[in-house]
Order: sequence, then structure tokens, then C-alpha cells
Amino acid sequence: MISRSKKIFLISLASVIALLFILPLAWMVATSFKNDFEAIAGGLNFLPKDFIIDNYVYTLLGDGLSVPVLKWMFNSIFVGVSGALIIVFIDALAAYALARLDVPFKKTLFAMFVSTLMIPWVITFLPLYMEFSHLGLLDTYAALILPYSANAFGVFLLFQFFKGFPKELEEAAYLDGANKWQIFTKVVLPSARPIMWTLAIFSFMTIYNDFLWPLVATSSPEMRTITTGIAIMQQGSFVSSYGKLMALTTIATVPILILFLIGQKHLIKGITQSGIK
Amino acid sequence: MKFNQQSEQNTEEVNGKKELNASAEKKTKWSRKRKSQLTSSLFVLPYLVMFTAFLLIPLIYGVYISFHKYGLLSKDRPFVGLDNYKKIFDPNSYVNEIFFTGLWNTFQFVIYSVPLLVFIGLGLALLVNSLPSKIRGLFRTFYFIPYAISVSVISILWLWILDTNSGLLNNFLMKLGFDPIPWLTSQPGAWISIVAATVWWTIGFNMIIFINALNEVPESLYEAASIDGAGAWSKFVNITLPSIRPIMLFVVITSTIASFNVYGQPYLMTGGGPGDSTNVLLMGIVEQAFEERQLGSASAMAIIMALIMIIVSIVQFKISKAGQKGDQ
Repeated sequence: MISRSKKIFLISLASVIALLFILPLAWMVATSFKNDFEAIAGGLNFLPKDFIIDNYVYTLLGDGLSVPVLKWMFNSIFVGVSGALIIVFIDALAAYALARLDVPFKKTLFAMFVSTLMIPWVITFLPLYMEFSHLGLLDTYAALILPYSANAFGVFLLFQFFKGFPKELEEAAYLDGANKWQIFTKVVLPSARPIMWTLAIFSFMTIYNDFLWPLVATSSPEMRTITTGIAIMQQGSFVSSYGKLMALTTIATVPILILFLIGQKHLIKGITQSGIK
Repeated sequence: MKFNQQSEQNTEEVNGKKELNASAEKKTKWSRKRKSQLTSSLFVLPYLVMFTAFLLIPLIYGVYISFHKYGLLSKDRPFVGLDNYKKIFDPNSYVNEIFFTGLWNTFQFVIYSVPLLVFIGLGLALLVNSLPSKIRGLFRTFYFIPYAISVSVISILWLWILDTNSGLLNNFLMKLGFDPIPWLTSQPGAWISIVAATVWWTIGFNMIIFINALNEVPESLYEAASIDGAGAWSKFVNITLPSIRPIMLFVVITSTIASFNVYGQPYLMTGGGPGDSTNVLLMGIVEQAFEERQLGSASAMAIIMALIMIIVSIVQFKISKAGQKGDQ
């Protein structure tokens, strides 16, 4: 139906735009292998003349380096994974109960949870800081993980799924004498696996990439996440070394990019479902 | 009702064993129901605890803080009523200047970025959908990739591309014989930079939502229009746009809220400059809280900011609904 020349034009246009999205990232990686002189000189040489890995060696293990980049990576991954696990677990329990079980006041509870999705987080950000300060939990993993678990997005997402889940399977299990917990873990959860992956990937990315909350919630260099650590390095000791800075940003980007490419289908599903009104 | 059944038991004892058994059965049925409700509630409990601790309490606590002169470090935090709010609207107060400069800058960012985020998002979705189906997924991934990356990486990457002396873009302009442009240290360069980086970073999200919406439009509508001899543009205006209107509204509202919350890009790329021209409201609130250590007025600012965001969303929703009625 589409003419051949129109098709070629569309593909070329799409390719040029694709380059705009990919080139900056490719350039970041290429620069991370350049020496400082070549990196700062800029120019339009894409590939390094002198291919070096010194920037990575220094960034990860450097003697003179006062910041623990590997610890930051560990923090980000640990906080992202624990946060995602907690979110998926508590949201699945709550969403299933609200969709299927005889929880008292369940309509009120669900309405209350969902209505908070409309409250801008800026309201809770400062009191949350004070709350953790009172609890003496600033600058700890608790502060980096727990606040994300209150978000109602996952409850909402999973609720829709459980509502549409066929009742027959549960009823058959009830007749066999299974209790609620057994039905939840043996019958319901296995079929909810894809949607739970969606929520897990979404949550991990949100936590891994978050900036302002970990910036204020942590203060010691050891408790920084990689995202906040980068910002500090950019304004501090790496300010004049683009090669090292790009090595650092590449290190921060590779894990999330791999996860993204693997989990892309789930992520798209999540976005699509969140967009349905 | 269940209690009535119990009292019935007391008055109708004379009715014999049979009745007694029946009501005892009801009683166990009742307690079984209570027990069932209790175990069901246990499922909700973990989330409810988190929700209360990290959303509900902060929400109430935030309002409480905003009614106090609440120093970050001082122990003495007296109740001051609406003073923190009054100061925001008192033209002689420095809080007033921080708030309204920040608000104006945030509004500018919203006004520049939201139309681009909506229309480029839709444009990319249309482009991807018009490609041969074999390569659609590939291009969708290309445009979506930056969305996976954190704001600090995005900001540093663009900071460097736009650098006046050694940045990629200025190097390119100089090769073409132009003077380098101080993108980040002059206006409108600074806004262009922040908006461009933001669009590049987040456009993939909107694109996905639009692709999904476009795929939901029934093919039969287009076929019917083709039979009537409608052109591509006429199909777009008369079929596509009305069909995706609810999703369009969703994208407008989510993009607006996200743009109101802008922080990382100006914080890292321009530091609020040049002057204070990109000093957005969230930066003002954070500064007031952690540098001036005045949490009371910072909280009042945050609450007013949130109210403005809610009002803007409602207005967008109403306008869209009114537009829909006008069509019919």
C-alpha cells in the first residue's frame, strides 16, 4: 500500500532520529576509553586514538580516589533489588485481598490508596526526611528503601490483574480444602508472574535512578547511591576529567541498560497498562 | 444483625434443642466469617503499614510542620499558625521572592516542555507505526533507551555535549564556521538545553503510550473513511485524534506533573543560572529546607506547589472534557 520511495524515506527519517538517541550514549562510552587530553580536546573524533582502560581502573580501584564507586554500585543494586522485592510482595498481597477476599471496608481502603496517586510527592518529601531524622534512620539502607514501598501504583496495577483473574481456579482449590494463603501462593501467584515482573522492573528502575530523595536522605560517602555519587563527583574531583567522568557514567548505566533491554517487554506492558484510563 | 440472632437464642430457649443447634451453627458460621475477614485483612496489613508510615503520616506531618516555625536543627519549634503561608504572599518577604521566582521558572519549563513532550511523542509514535512491522520494535527500543538512564547521567552527558569550549555541538558549529554558543550560561540557551535534554530523556515513555493508543483505534473506521475517499490528513484529524483523546489527556497531565517536579536537570546542568533564570521551585524549596534550615516555610511552599499542581491537572481535565462536549 505504501509506495517504495515513501517507505525508504520513512526508514531513513527513523534512522536519523535513532542516531540522535543513540549517538550521545555511544559517545559517552567511546570517551570513557580516551585519555584526558583527547577527551577534553573534544573535536569530532568519535573513536579514541589511544584506546585506554585507565579511566575504569582508576574509577573503580584508584588509590588516590577518596570515594568508593564499587560501594555505590552495590548500594544502588542492593537498594533497588530489596525495594522491588518488598514492593512486589506487599502490593501483590494487598491487591489480591482487595480484589478477591472478604476484607472489611475494602472499597474504602482501595479508594484511599488510589487517591494518593494524585497527591504530588513534593508534599511528603520534607516530612519524610524529618520522620527518618526522628527515627535516627537517615543515612541508612532503611531510608533508601522504605519510602518507595508506600507508592500505590503497584497495588493499582496488580488489582486490575487480579480482578480479571478467572475465579474457577480458586474455587476448585477451595473445594480441595486449600486455605487462602495456599491458594494465593500456589494458584494465583504463578499466573501473576509476568505482571509481577513488570512491577519489579519498574520499581527497580525507579529506585536505582532516583535522585533527589537519596541525595537528601544520605550524607556519608559510603551510603551514596551511584546516581547521587555521580552528581557529587561531577561537581567535585572529576570536574575536569571527562574521561573519568564518562567511565563513571558508563559504569552507572551498564547494569540498568542490560536490565532494561532484557525487561523491555514487561516495561512496555506496565506503561501501557498505566496509561489505560 | 448477627447479634440479634444471639439474643434470639436467649429468648427462644423453649423452642427445643433443634433450634439451639441451628443457632449454634449460625454462631460458628458467624465466627468463621469473622475469622475469614481477619485472615483476609492480614493480606492487606503489610502494605497498610508502609502506606501509613511513609505516606499518610508524612502527609499529616507536612501540614503540621507548615504551621510551625520549624528549624531543621533547633529544638524550639513554636506554632505560628498561617505565618509561613502569609510570608509567601507578602511582597516584602524574601520567601516571597524565592517562591515566585521559582514558580515562574517552573511554569516556563512546563510551558516549553509539555507541548514538545506531547507532540514529539505522538510524532514518534506515528513514525514508528508507519514503519514496516519487522523493524518497528527495533526503532521503538532506540527511542525508548534514554528513559532507562538516571537524570545525573543524562545531565552530565548533555552538559558535556553543550559545553561552550570543548562540547560536541559547538565543535560541530565551529567546523561549519559558526561562533560557539554559550548554551548553558546564557538565555535562551539554558532553557533550550534543559528542555532538549528532558525531551530526549523522557520522550520514549509518551511514545509507548501513544503507540498503544494508536493500535487500539479500530481498523474499520479507517477502512470506512477510505471508502469515503478521505486522505491521510483527514483520517488523522477526524479519526485518529478523536479516538486517542483520553490518552492524549493522560499524557498531557502526566507530562505536566513530571515537568512541575523538574529538579535534577537544572540543578546539575545550569545550577539554576544564568542569574536565577532556571532556579525552579523545587530547588527553592530544597534550599529553603536544607540551606536556610527553615522547614516550616519550605513545607508551606511545598503544599502550595502541590495545590497548584492539583489545580492545573483539574483544569486540564475540565478543558478536555469541555472540548469533547463541543465536538458532539
